[in-house]
Amino acid sequence: MTWTKKIIRGCCLLGLVLFFADAAAQSFVSKNIRIGMFSSTPLEDIKAVSDQGTGVIVAKTREVVVQLAVKTLEFDRKLMQEHFNENYIESDKYPLAKFKGVLDQSVDLTKDGDYNANVTGVLSLHGVDKQRTIPCRISVRGGVVRVESQFKVACVDHKIDIPRLVFAKIAESISVKLNGQFNQVK
Amino acid sequence: MNKFKFLLITFSLLALGLTVVNAQDADSLMKTLNSNVMPAPVEAVFKATRVVLSHSSETQKKHDLDLRIRHHFGDIGGKFGSAHTLYGLDVASDLFIGLDYGVTDDFTVAVGRSKQDELYNFSGKYKLLRQKSKGGMPVNLTVFAQMGWIAREPFSESEFAQYSDRFSYFLQGIISRKISSRLSLEVTPGYLLRQNPSDPEDPNNLFVLGFAGRMKLTRRLSFIADYTLVNGLSRPADLVTDYYNPLGVGLEIETGGHIFSLNFMNSEYIVENNFISNTKKSWNKGGVRFGFTISRNFTLFKSKNKDPDKQSKIY
Repeated sequence: MTWTKKIIRGCCLLGLVLFFADAAAQSFVSKNIRIGMFSSTPLEDIKAVSDQGTGVIVAKTREVVVQLAVKTLEFDRKLMQEHFNENYIESDKYPLAKFKGVLDQSVDLTKDGDYNANVTGVLSLHGVDKQRTIPCRISVRGGVVRVESQFKVACVDHKIDIPRLVFAKIAESISVKLNGQFNQVK
Repeated sequence: MNKFKFLLITFSLLALGLTVVNAQDADSLMKTLNSNVMPAPVEAVFKATRVVLSHSSETQKKHDLDLRIRHHFGDIGGKFGSAHTLYGLDVASDLFIGLDYGVTDDFTVAVGRSKQDELYNFSGKYKLLRQKSKGGMPVNLTVFAQMGWIAREPFSESEFAQYSDRFSYFLQGIISRKISSRLSLEVTPGYLLRQNPSDPEDPNNLFVLGFAGRMKLTRRLSFIADYTLVNGLSRPADLVTDYYNPLGVGLEIETGGHIFSLNFMNSEYIVENNFISNTKKSWNKGGVRFGFTISRNFTLFKSKNKDPDKQSKIY
């Protein structure tokens, strides 16, 4: 009986060590992804930005997750920020914007290089999930992974309604810009 | 055989466990990243700086100027109402024009002028404490101080015997809480100091206690109400004049920069220094009236932030 126990213990230990070593070698995280939004119409340009996006890249499974507490988006004008949170994005009800997807190609994040890749997954915003393929540019320099991306979000896709009164001031499609530096999990 | 089975089960469990852990990996890393979120201030407890009659705990945003125009019509019913005055619409019991300016996000200065007594009011409002989410500060505390200056001619020789009799002062603490994203409530203890009350038995200084609330019906439409206890606190019950406690209800419509407020209340007057001490109409006796506010916000200065990702532009 004792030798069985020893083997089991050994296996468990080995498995755990292998797993953690594996995960640590392959995962990259960021706590300060810069995420900006930009609405442009002939009447008004509206911009907002947050530096508090968080993200994870797991190289082995090619998983990419990026998340933003929408309340952290800062506007030039505080009243506009309040209206954004209260009337449009409803951040009390839907506090997070999240994208979870899978890279369409395997990228060696341990070697220096530049890659143009697509991430396919689900964009959750304002309580509505939408299947999206989002292009991004990944550059690796000395163990640091930089990710840049730019894409559009149509308000109607996420049930964000714009009243007719302000229709001319807010774009139907909002540009989102993302720029983050991911570091390896140690 | 038994040992072999046991081993097999253990291995399969281990393998299964590993795959599950592996599959959750991105999510669990995400969870660790977002585990220590700081309590954030709760925004937009009320839409405007006023509820119906009384002040809310909100202040103006920095460098925003609010132009407010308020109108109280005459009695809907009773002796002064009915069809002869088109249910009070012929009468303007009080008119108010005011400007509120946000010096900082927490400090607002304001000036206004009412028809009643040709009263000019000057006020300061400061947000001392802010409600925070996730176990932080549970309430907002705003302090409000207002001076009133009566500019009209005296009605009699003895009125305003001293020039200082024209001044009144109102101090108030506003304690509010956004209970849910829909419901906000506040309690407002206040103290009014004045000279020459029109009823000689009425004390110069009055302690008052107000209650106010907002219930959001849709994203842009709210039901608002407030009530101020004046009688039954420091005011004697046996005055010659009948005074009533001000009660107002209404709807508030916000359209991005404009706020329209449509109300019914028994108070004839608009500014605290008038309506707290001199509300002589009652909801029971047809003394209720219609009133409205139009409020428009202007951003006076462009923000100086140099961040190109934040700069908004109006063409």
